[in-house]
Amino acid sequence: MKVIELKNVEKIYNDSEFKVHAIRGIDLDFEEGEFAAIVGPSGSGKTTLLNMLGGLDKPSAGDIMIGGTHINELKGSKLIDFRLHNIGFVFQSYNLIPVLTAKENVEFIMQMQRRPAAKRLERTRELLEKVGLGDRLNSRPNKLSGGQQQRVAVARALASKPRFILADEPTANLDSVSTENLLDIMEQLNREEKITFIFSTHDARVVKKAKRVITIEDGKVIRDEWKEEDVR
Amino acid sequence: MNLFKIAWRNLWRNRRRTAITSASILFAVFFALIMRSFQLGFYDHMIRNVIESFSGFLQIQHIDYQDDPSLENTFPYSAELQKTIESTPGITAVVPRIETFALASTGNQTKGALIMGVDPVRERSLSNPENLLVRYRITHEGIDRLNEDGGLPQPVHEKLKDILGNSYTNTGSIAMDLELDEKEDSKILDAIASVSHFPGRYLENQDDGVLVSDRLAKYLRLTVGDTLILMGQGYHGATAADLYPVRGIIKLINPELDNKIVYMNLPYAQDFTGVGDKVTAVGINLADNSDKNMLAIQRSLAEKLNSDKIKVKNWKEFNPVLVQQIEGDNQSGKAFLALLYFVIFFGIFGTVLMMIHERHREFGMLVSIGMRKTKLALIMVIEMFLIGVLGVISGTVISLPLLYYFHIHPIRLTGGLAQTMEDMGFDPLMPLAWTESYVIWQGLIVALMVVLSCLYPLRKVLKLKETEALRN
Ligand SMILES: Nc1ncnc2c1ncn2[C@@H]1O[C@H](COP(=O)(O)OP(=O)(O)OP(=O)(O)O)[C@@H](O)[C@H]1O
Ligand SMILES: [Mg+2]
Repeated sequence: MKVIELKNVEKIYNDSEFKVHAIRGIDLDFEEGEFAAIVGPSGSGKTTLLNMLGGLDKPSAGDIMIGGTHINELKGSKLIDFRLHNIGFVFQSYNLIPVLTAKENVEFIMQMQRRPAAKRLERTRELLEKVGLGDRLNSRPNKLSGGQQQRVAVARALASKPRFILADEPTANLDSVSTENLLDIMEQLNREEKITFIFSTHDARVVKKAKRVITIEDGKVIRDEWKEEDVR
Repeated sequence: MNLFKIAWRNLWRNRRRTAITSASILFAVFFALIMRSFQLGFYDHMIRNVIESFSGFLQIQHIDYQDDPSLENTFPYSAELQKTIESTPGITAVVPRIETFALASTGNQTKGALIMGVDPVRERSLSNPENLLVRYRITHEGIDRLNEDGGLPQPVHEKLKDILGNSYTNTGSIAMDLELDEKEDSKILDAIASVSHFPGRYLENQDDGVLVSDRLAKYLRLTVGDTLILMGQGYHGATAADLYPVRGIIKLINPELDNKIVYMNLPYAQDFTGVGDKVTAVGINLADNSDKNMLAIQRSLAEKLNSDKIKVKNWKEFNPVLVQQIEGDNQSGKAFLALLYFVIFFGIFGTVLMMIHERHREFGMLVSIGMRKTKLALIMVIEMFLIGVLGVISGTVISLPLLYYFHIHPIRLTGGLAQTMEDMGFDPLMPLAWTESYVIWQGLIVALMVVLSCLYPLRKVLKLKETEALRN
C-alpha cells in the first residue's frame, strides 16, 4: 500500500534575490514498510524534498498525497494536526524539549494527541527500552549524549504512531559508533514494527544499510535502486 | 506534564534572566506602592486638615456667597432648616456659622480679624476650637522658677530658651520642640508643664466672651481676662462695634488663620453684625467621605431644601484651590507611575524578545512535530505571567510591612519642609494611605504590561515558519 505519492513535484524558492529551482519535477512513491535513503551532493535538494514530504513546506507545482490526503490543501492548525497524527520527525539536532526528561519528551507527543494516560506511560517505557534507554527515563536531554538524544527522538517519532518517519541527516552530528547504533535501532524498528523510515544522508555506511536508495542531483531523481533482499 | 509545567521549568532554565526581570518588576512595584501611598496619604491628610476639621465636606451657602462672601449673602438658619439637614441619613455634623471681617483692637493696636460666630457645642464636631486652647506658654518667670528648683539638664535649658514665648496646646508638642521623649523625659516635661500653665477656657453656651488666636493675641498684647474691641460694617452697611472679654487663646497650625481668628458665640455674632437669625454657612460632615456618597447626599439634600436662595456645595466646589493643589500633584505622581510601568513593560518586552530569539529552533521543532502555535504562545504567556506574578508578589510582600508601619506611625517632618507644610496650614505629617485596592491595581497593571509586552512576540510566534526556524 502506498503511503506517499509525489506527482511532478517542483520547488522554486522565490523569497531571496535569486530564484532557485531546487526540485525539478519529481515523481516518487513510497510503500508501507520501506527503509529508504535519499542521497545526493550538498545542495541537490534532499532537505527541500523531505520538508515537502513532511508538510513543512509546500511545492510550487505538483501534488503530494499522504495516505490519500492532498497535503498541499491543508493549512494552519489543520496541517499541524495532520503532522501530529501522521508523520514522525527526527531532525539533525535540537530534537527534544530541553526542560523535559526523556520519558516526558516521548510522552508529550502522545499527550498532544490526547491519548489516555495509562497507555501513554506503558508505551513510553516500551519505546525507550526498545531504543536502549530503559535506564535513562528521567534524564534531561543535556544529560544525554548526542546519540542517546537521537534515539529518544526516534522513540518519540514512533510514539505518535505515524504513517512514516522522516529523518533529515539524523546521524550528521554523531560519531561512527553512535551512527551505527542509531541505524541498527532504526532498522530493527523497521523490521519489527513495520514502520516506514525515509532519511537523507551523506554517510556511505548509512547508505549501505538502506533497502532503497534514491539519488537526487540538481533537483532531479537520477537513480532509484532497491537492494535484492528487499521483498519488493 | 501540562503547558504550565513546561512554562514553570523554563523559568528555571535561565534563572538569572528570570531573577532580573522579576526584580525589575519588584522594584517598580515597590516604588510605585510606596510613592503612591505617600501621595494618597498626603491628600487624605490635607483633606482631613482643611475639609474634615474646618469647613466640612458639604456646606450650605447663599447662592451668591462664593462669588461675593459678604453679610448681604446670608440666609436664615431656622430650626426647620436644621431639622431638614439633620434628618438626612449619613450626616454626622451640622454646624452653622457666621464668618465676617472686623477690626480687632485693644486701644493701642489694631488688626484685621476673621470673626467666626459659632455654636460652641456644635462647633466641637468640626473645627473643635476647644482642642486648640493654649494650655501652656513658656515664660521667663517659668524658666527662672525651674532654675531655682535645681534647674534642668543644660541642653534642655538651652532649647527652652529657643522656645521662649511659644504657646502649646499639650505637653506632647512641647516634648517635640525640645526633642524630648514623652515617656522617658516625663519628669522634665512635668516640671516644665507645672511652671508653664496658661489660663483660659472654652466658650460656654450664651457666653459673651471670645477666643482669640495666638498670633493675633500676641500682636494685640491680649491675654485671658482682657477685653477685645471689635469694629466693623454690619448687615446693610450698619456700623458694628462692641466689647468682648477674652476667655481663651487658641493656637492654629495654619499661621495665616492663627493671625486673624476670633471665635464667638453665634447669637453674639449675629447681634454684632445685625443679620438677625442669618448665617453665612452651615458646615456638614459625613459618616462616609467617599466622593460617591458625598455627591449622593449633596443631591438628596438639595432636593429636600428645594430652594433658589441657598445651595448645597461640596468641598471641591467651595475649595477649588485645594482641588487644584491635589490634582496638580496627582498628575505628576501619575506621570512618575507611568514611567515605572514603562520600565516594567520594557523589562518584560526585552525578556520575551530574547526568549523567542533563543528558542526559535525549539519552537520550530515543536510546531513541526505537531504542536499548535497557539499552545506555544500560551506557554510563552504563562512564563511571562509567572515572572510578573513573582515580581508583583515579592514587591508587595516587601512593601506591605513598610507601608503598614508608616501608616500607623506617620513620619513627622522637621526643618524647612515642615515649615512649608505648616505655612500651607497642615500638620507637618507624612502619613501613608493604606489602600488594599491599590495593591490590586498594581497586579492588574503589571498583568496588562505582560499582555502588552507579549503582543509583538506573540505575533512572531503565530507567524513562525517551520523550515526557517529549523535551519541553522
Ligand atoms: N529557503 C531557501 N531559500 C532559497 N534557496 C534555498 C532555500 N533552502 C534551500 N535553498 C536552495 O535550494 C537548493 C537545495 O537545498 P537543500 O537544502 O534542499 O539541499 P540539500 O541536498 O539538503 O543540501 P545539504 O546536503 O547541504 O543539506 C540549494 O541550492 C539551496 O541553496
Ligand atoms: Mg540538507
